[in-house]
Amino acid sequence: MKMNQPKNQNTLDIVAVLVRWLLGAVFIYMGLNKAVHIVFHRADITDGPVAFLKLVHQYDMTSNPVLLNTIAATLPWFEVFCGLLLLTGIAVRGAALMVLTMLVPFTLIVLKHGLDLAAANAVPFCAVKFDCGCGSGEVVTCHKLAENCGLIFLSAWLLGGRSRQLCARFSLLNPAPAKIETPKPAGE
Amino acid sequence: MKQVLLEGLLVALAGAAVAFAANALSPQGLRLVNDYFPGAPQAHTSPGTGTNPLAAVNGTNSHALSPEEALAARLRQNGLKLIGTDEVLKLFHDPRLEQDLVVFVDARDSNHYEAGHIPGAYQFDHFHPENYLAAILPVCQTAQQIVVYCHGGECEDSEFAAVMLTRDAGIAKEKLFVYGGGITEWTDRGLPIEIGSRKSGKLSGEKK
Repeated sequence: MKMNQPKNQNTLDIVAVLVRWLLGAVFIYMGLNKAVHIVFHRADITDGPVAFLKLVHQYDMTSNPVLLNTIAATLPWFEVFCGLLLLTGIAVRGAALMVLTMLVPFTLIVLKHGLDLAAANAVPFCAVKFDCGCGSGEVVTCHKLAENCGLIFLSAWLLGGRSRQLCARFSLLNPAPAKIETPKPAGE
Repeated sequence: MKQVLLEGLLVALAGAAVAFAANALSPQGLRLVNDYFPGAPQAHTSPGTGTNPLAAVNGTNSHALSPEEALAARLRQNGLKLIGTDEVLKLFHDPRLEQDLVVFVDARDSNHYEAGHIPGAYQFDHFHPENYLAAILPVCQTAQQIVVYCHGGECEDSEFAAVMLTRDAGIAKEKLFVYGGGITEWTDRGLPIEIGSRKSGKLSGEKK
């Protein structure tokens, strides 16, 4: 039983690296789509931050223009930043925490809007499709929620993880433990 | 746990600094103090498609209203008028068009404008007003009638552009009209469109 431990640890390390890369790539892709170029599927939606601004505006989160503009202008770049940290393995748990902080409220907002739309249009919840501003155009709400739940689970797992494999600097505050070098035999 | 929270805070601070800097440096960046949705109703029910944005107008669940009726109601709230294709067409054939006394304003972005606009229309993308106001303000000030349009349908850019022209640029509301059908209805009717820049002379889409 004990002999399996290193093998399990290796598998866990590989999974942790893959999860980190996946989350990082997803956030970089989604963020860049919103910050620089968006391939939306509505004729009245334009590219870049203006398109994202319009979508954020549609959520009616705030009527304050400065706050609205700040969310639309900075959130995509913030996503890219967190994605880069995850991809390179810098401040992994801090980045995972920030990703969670973005994902959880956003998922709740999407859920609320999905429910509102289903009620307003008298259609089943999973038949509702809309452009959620996620950087991937129009999506089926159920699919988006399932995807977000998966991302939340992976972020939470990274947050609790300890794997430092292929990390440039796993923790900002607690640098990697120094490797204990075995003394070379005399005469070599 | 404390360490993770502290690290999260550091990431948040560094990320915010990077995000503000990236927005400031990006040519597509937003100006944080601008009101890009002037005169917008407060409560949209719906992002995206398949929804009726009309409930926002009167606070009622007004499913009976068509998008055009809702647009008319929103425009009334801002002291503006909706105009249909027939009236737009009359203005398009008005001889005053040549003297810029009747003016068409396209409220879409450059890509869409260059792909095709109503012949002779000026561009005013209200998300980047600084690029257009110098050119269109003198024209709008002397014009007798101004027609603002965007894509049509659920597009709101023409309303916001019109409100911006009245509220911020001081153009009289009485001479401003919003063409609700927009370029979609215009092209669906087989009317001519101009491709490229204003007065490029490249026309297409006219029915024989």
